[in-house]
Amino acid sequence: MSQENMSNDNVESPTEDPTDDDMLLETDVTSGLEEGTQGSRTTHERTIVEAKDVNVWYNQDQALRDITMQVPENKVTAMIGPSGCGKSTFLRCINRMNDMIDAARVEGELYLGEKNVYDDDVDPVALRRRVGMVFQKPNPFPKSIYDNVAYGLNIQDIGGDHDAIVEESLKRAALWDEVKDQLDESGLDLSGGQQQRLCIARAIAPDPEVILMDEPASALDPVATSKIEDLIDELAEDYTVIIVTHNMQQAARISDKTAVFLTGGELVEFGDTKKIFENPDNERVEDYITGKFG
Amino acid sequence: MATEDRRSYADGFGQVSRTVGIIFRYLLLAATLFGIAVLAILLVYVANDAIQPLTADAGWHLTFFLTLVLPSLATGGYLAWSNVDGLKLGAMTLGLFVVGLLFSGGVAIIFLEVLPPLVWFAYVIAFAVPVAVTVGLQQRSRQIPFVSRFALATLAFYLSLFGFPGIVGSYAELPQLIPSVATLILFAPIVPLDWIQLTLTVGVFAATPVALYASAISDRRTGLIAGAAALATVAASAVVGPAVVGVGPIPSVVLASVAVLPTAAYVCGTAVTREQARIGLVLPVVIVAGALAGEVLVDTLGYAGPQSWVDWQFLTSDHSGTAANAGLYPAIAGSILLMLTVAALSFPIGVGAALYLEEYAPDNRYTRFIDVNISNLAGVPSVVYGLLGLGLFVTRLGQSTGTILVGGATLALLILPIVIISSREAIRSVPSEMRQASYGMGATRWQTMKNVVLPRAFPGILTGTILALGRAIGETAPLIMIGAPNVLYSFPSELSSKVSAMPLQVYSWASYFATNDFYEKAVPAGVVVLVTVLLAMNSIAIVLRNRYQRET
Amino acid sequence: MSTDDLTEDLTRNTANAPPELLTRSFFFLCAVLSIFTTLAIIALLVTEAAKFFSVTAPLMGIEGETASVVEFLTGTEWIIGEGKFGVLALVTSTVMVTLGSAIIALPLGVATAIYLSEYADPQVRSLLKPALEILAGVPTVVYGFFALIYITPALRTVFPSIGTFNLLSASIVVGIMIIPMVASISEDAMSAVPDDLRQAGYGMGATKFEVSTGIVVPAALSGILSSFILALSRAIGETMAVTVAAGAQAKFHNPFNPAAYLDGGSPMTATMVNLLTGDITGGGLAYRSLFAIGLTLFVITFAMNVISELVAQRYREEY
Repeated sequence: MSQENMSNDNVESPTEDPTDDDMLLETDVTSGLEEGTQGSRTTHERTIVEAKDVNVWYNQDQALRDITMQVPENKVTAMIGPSGCGKSTFLRCINRMNDMIDAARVEGELYLGEKNVYDDDVDPVALRRRVGMVFQKPNPFPKSIYDNVAYGLNIQDIGGDHDAIVEESLKRAALWDEVKDQLDESGLDLSGGQQQRLCIARAIAPDPEVILMDEPASALDPVATSKIEDLIDELAEDYTVIIVTHNMQQAARISDKTAVFLTGGELVEFGDTKKIFENPDNERVEDYITGKFG
Repeated sequence: MATEDRRSYADGFGQVSRTVGIIFRYLLLAATLFGIAVLAILLVYVANDAIQPLTADAGWHLTFFLTLVLPSLATGGYLAWSNVDGLKLGAMTLGLFVVGLLFSGGVAIIFLEVLPPLVWFAYVIAFAVPVAVTVGLQQRSRQIPFVSRFALATLAFYLSLFGFPGIVGSYAELPQLIPSVATLILFAPIVPLDWIQLTLTVGVFAATPVALYASAISDRRTGLIAGAAALATVAASAVVGPAVVGVGPIPSVVLASVAVLPTAAYVCGTAVTREQARIGLVLPVVIVAGALAGEVLVDTLGYAGPQSWVDWQFLTSDHSGTAANAGLYPAIAGSILLMLTVAALSFPIGVGAALYLEEYAPDNRYTRFIDVNISNLAGVPSVVYGLLGLGLFVTRLGQSTGTILVGGATLALLILPIVIISSREAIRSVPSEMRQASYGMGATRWQTMKNVVLPRAFPGILTGTILALGRAIGETAPLIMIGAPNVLYSFPSELSSKVSAMPLQVYSWASYFATNDFYEKAVPAGVVVLVTVLLAMNSIAIVLRNRYQRET
Repeated sequence: MSTDDLTEDLTRNTANAPPELLTRSFFFLCAVLSIFTTLAIIALLVTEAAKFFSVTAPLMGIEGETASVVEFLTGTEWIIGEGKFGVLALVTSTVMVTLGSAIIALPLGVATAIYLSEYADPQVRSLLKPALEILAGVPTVVYGFFALIYITPALRTVFPSIGTFNLLSASIVVGIMIIPMVASISEDAMSAVPDDLRQAGYGMGATKFEVSTGIVVPAALSGILSSFILALSRAIGETMAVTVAAGAQAKFHNPFNPAAYLDGGSPMTATMVNLLTGDITGGGLAYRSLFAIGLTLFVITFAMNVISELVAQRYREEY
């Protein structure tokens, strides 16, 4: 093992104070699509994730074609489209979970901040430490609720008062009141909706830049779903949320921006949610939104 | 008319095909049961030869029938009819206790013959000190980089176990400057009594899971109390054992830690958590009380028991030229030492290889080659592994023939493919969502393995390893190949001792001492002991697997 | 926190952090060890066997007694004292035990597999499967003892001329021993047959008997065949049961003569054990013959394992 390798290793080095979350780029968004604003949030948008001509292949099959988009920070960006359109694939490009699949091949540039995450010197593990992910099916670890939330803190060797961070994360995930007396019990004993909120708490505990959600409510009942939706709305105050959903109403309710993927892995339209749902530019998008196909 | 005809024709046809189907079904069932039935009959025969139940007085049989068999059957039957869960719980408790007894016998042999309690105590402490240092370092992981921590921990282990300059120094013929922790304890002027040493080590090992179990089903305070009570029980047993039952303090402590504590913890735990089934605990009580009552009655009435060959004398004597004096003791100890060696070698390597193939290896030609190679190795005859042991360890590496180390290494190579294959299955059955969740949180591979995959796959890995170990300790041919002595009179007490093992001893008796006495008594007795041990191991593995499959 | 910090954060190299590197290397070594085991077996058997044959012995620097390859492969007498090393005297006994055990284990194993896969309800299965595993879990030396002490005397009531050591009792116990292997691999193959096929059969009005024998068994045929080959390879390599039950007298038999089963014989594996428990000295010709038999045994079983793997791959491809 060379000396450089050792000095390169700063896995164990202290990470910044998790409550400090103003690490962002002062890049003004230039695309015309992003001009409109929604709600009372800041009008000064900064880009946190930017894709430039991203193409993905599974063996010979192309799953994504020339995806170019800019995701603004501290907003909820929804990705919708029929199944098999590549929206989940794109989500998994952002934290390089596609690396796990041997057959997947990614081309193009995808920036987190100023760094192309597909650069050779980017470590996918380090990337995933800055990009949290919530999966379709709630997947808490078979550990206690506390250990589930503290998992990221432990593996990333984040210091500070873990008890406080766990409490804070559970509060933000709107789960604290329900579980505060049973932190030692298994995360698997919770209901499906609670499990998914536990997974959200787990994802936000290490204070990532971006939270990716892959159809987080599709396995839940309507009540649990609406709780998750409220939660996403609140999370957007501090985090950038990118959510994949097959449910157009859900996208309309919770997102600021919407990207519509259609079959073949194309990003057909990307813009303010309001505009996409009321007056899309693209005819195919309109057909899709109005339910003519998909 | 026509339809009528057709229906009657169809009915007749249905009758024929139904009969064929039924006959076929029962033929299949008979075929399935054939092997099992043959084995069962053979086992009954061998048990009859070994235990000779017919030599007992009729009164003996009657007494035990009345005190033990009848009440047990009645209780079992009642439970089977009213509360199957209860029956399972009762059987499980009884099984746990029996397995615990077998285990404690093995552990007691180790402490009585192989490993003096003081040496064990010294090395446990010498190990615990650097472990504590490592844990302390780990908590300061943010201040100290990994390499320094690793170096410090290694240094702590080395100093504690070997001192300075230790074994490296002894090669360079340097004088020992600082004694190791182990030596300090070994040569300390005052050491605690041997049973206190065992209580502080084995007792603590047994009491810790009890405490964890209690705190898991109740709260931390109950856990602490339960742990303290467990430790007190172990300590008390060292006093009560010799005084009341006449068992030495060392076996008493071992018995309390390995057999009594786990059973008691299981009984208390299930009595609290499984209210529906706890009535089943009556079953073991009836059986134990019945056995004791029968024993007392038989003694007072003066009925003679069977002249069993499987008795205390057989289990605790060395081999002898006459069947009547022959015993299995060195072979039992040899099998235990072999099993420990095989487990220590094959478990880490097997699990490591399985992890590499399942989690790390890219899906390419080389991986598939290793894959095919492993399944081929699983099919190589054991006698060829014996040749490998002979040629590699004895001839090439210059080990002396037939030692426990060589035997253990050979058997470890033999079962390695089985351990790898079953561990891979266990690792593969860990849901991929768990891995995704961990990787998604930014865990590295090893962190994911350590925190998510291994804990989840552990019961499955354990099951496979126990089954493979059962295979290893039943093997004879590789041991003969590496030059194990036909008969071992002396006791195998270290890794460089000549190997002896139960199947080897049985083979020797069957081939070299072919007198009727050996054939009809000593060999069956040896077979009964060997099969009992293997059945116990198989049942542990099967029970483990059933529980584990239910959970996943 | 600045952008540079984020970039720096993303480019930290976790994959080569010391704990990662250490564990990954260790696991890799563990996996590679299996390759070394195979290589060691092959190298050892080949070099030692080379010292046995007169063709290759000079290359190995061995002088003195050697045996000819042709005589080894075609000779029908194995008498060490007279320097006669004809492996056929051993192979025929091995073939007989293998054939005999196959007659017992293959039909019973397949029947068991059909029963477990198609007929047995889950509760019965959960009892029968562990019981079958126990058949395979009993040590082989115990089976040999059973054959010698209980089965041979029982057979003597039917065949009065049967020897104390005989191939019949050895075949019976080896057969029982390998039933679980045939059963479990065949059952896996049958369980892998898609339910659609069965449904189609029932839809055509077939009975369970017809579906089992006409649809499931043919569909699982390559898996069943692969289980046969593996079990036979296991029977060939089986050692202690035949050593105890079949005896140590090397004899050339006609494997297809049923009467020969009443006689003793010395299969390859048994000969190896007897060579080592007898008074052979390291380095002698008898000692080296051990490796020649070992190589023969290894080549046969290895070839069978490979064939079984190839056959099994077919059924994996089908579904």
